[in-house]
Amino acid sequence: MIICSNLSKAYTHGGQHKQVLNGVNLAIARGDRVGLLGRNGAGKSTLIKLIGGVEMPTSGKVTRSMSVSWPLGFAGGFQGSLTGFDNARFIARIYQREYSDIRRFVEDFTEMGKQLRMPVKTYSSGMRARLAFALSLAIEFDCYLIDEIILVGDQNFQRKCQAEMFEKRQDRSMLVASHSPDFIRSFCNKAVIVHEGRATLMNDVDEAIEQYDRL
Amino acid sequence: MTNGRFSRLFTSWAVQVRVIHALMIRELITRFGRENIGFLWIMAEPLLFAGLVGLVWHFSHGATEHGVNVIAFVATGYIPITLFRHGVARSVAVFTANQSLLYHRQIKIVDFILARFIIELLGSMMAYLFMAVVLIAFDVFPIPADIGLLIAGWLIYCLFCFSLCLIIGPLSEISEAWEKFIPVTTYIMIPFSGLFYMVSWMTPNFRDFLLMSPFVNGMEMMRKGIWGDKVTAYYDIWNPIICSAIGIMIGLLLCRRVRRILTVE
Repeated sequence: MIICSNLSKAYTHGGQHKQVLNGVNLAIARGDRVGLLGRNGAGKSTLIKLIGGVEMPTSGKVTRSMSVSWPLGFAGGFQGSLTGFDNARFIARIYQREYSDIRRFVEDFTEMGKQLRMPVKTYSSGMRARLAFALSLAIEFDCYLIDEIILVGDQNFQRKCQAEMFEKRQDRSMLVASHSPDFIRSFCNKAVIVHEGRATLMNDVDEAIEQYDRL
Repeated sequence: MTNGRFSRLFTSWAVQVRVIHALMIRELITRFGRENIGFLWIMAEPLLFAGLVGLVWHFSHGATEHGVNVIAFVATGYIPITLFRHGVARSVAVFTANQSLLYHRQIKIVDFILARFIIELLGSMMAYLFMAVVLIAFDVFPIPADIGLLIAGWLIYCLFCFSLCLIIGPLSEISEAWEKFIPVTTYIMIPFSGLFYMVSWMTPNFRDFLLMSPFVNGMEMMRKGIWGDKVTAYYDIWNPIICSAIGIMIGLLLCRRVRRILTVE
């Protein structure tokens, strides 16, 4: 379970104050595949960062009773000046995994070959997505936090994700922010709409997408 | 219950050790690369500094001062202060530089400061050892009279440096204005670091004043440990320990506060 109780987040910069989330209550159970819907700037990424523990809430609490991946997104998680392999080695170290296993999986899943010897800052966002997914799949989390990035991959990558994430690991939970109704319809069994600082969990995905369309 | 708590503490400890180890390797690779002498470069700067300033003093002040070899005297002063200056410089904006790694929950912001400080610490210890061995070979540096006191002085000096890093790291994140003051502050610190003198060379009034600086106490201990009876040293071991303890407390509180408001891209 992941439980968000009364979660609020405000950013303050140079006298400006922005309340992004205001009293979010949410529970994600084991096996839930939750699609996160909301307009640009509604707070989807902020919510994912709070659940992932990247940023701390202004008030409220996140309780995690299963292992949660770091947010897989366009930014974060990697050191740009290091190569793909060095990043893999770093992640193997901090998550206490055998580097050789991780390396084998990453080479196999990303199909990036020699590119893995190049600094991550030279990667395209699709390549970053491949690396991030490969590493987090190799580590095996109970819950994956995915911020948009799944859709930047090509057909081949999407097929692999489909096989690894949605077929082999059906028992895992997932929270995925996406603007693609098709994606959410086909892979999620629940949806959350983030709007005006609040989050509403809906068990009917189609209804949620309809509501999101009207926003 | 207590057993469970202890095992949890032990697991967390193991995680932090692993994280700091990984961060140090990452830092060494990004800073020094894998080419030529690699991370041995870390010794280069303190050594050059100590060696060249020592030579300048040798020619401007004569070969000895108060019965102590000038090159050795300056070198023992310069290596600790390069640790202090590098430590402080490396702590500025340390969180912003590493923020992409905060995506991994087990990495805490104190780990960033610790990893960088330990690297600086190892570098200056290696430089110290290397310099001592070379100077001993040329017979200008004595075999330390009391190696325990030397090490104790060094550790105390380092502890105080670390407590300052722990404060400066989060402060530089709260306000950029702080950064502007750091170069001038480290410069003004030089006379209060015990670099160029023994306190016993000063008048009694000034001596009491200088001994308020934790750095001076640590430096006096190190020099007493090296030269033994050839020099007179004044120090109070509690001054640097208490100052460091207070500094570390403030630093940890600041880190905790900054972590709550840190925005990560």
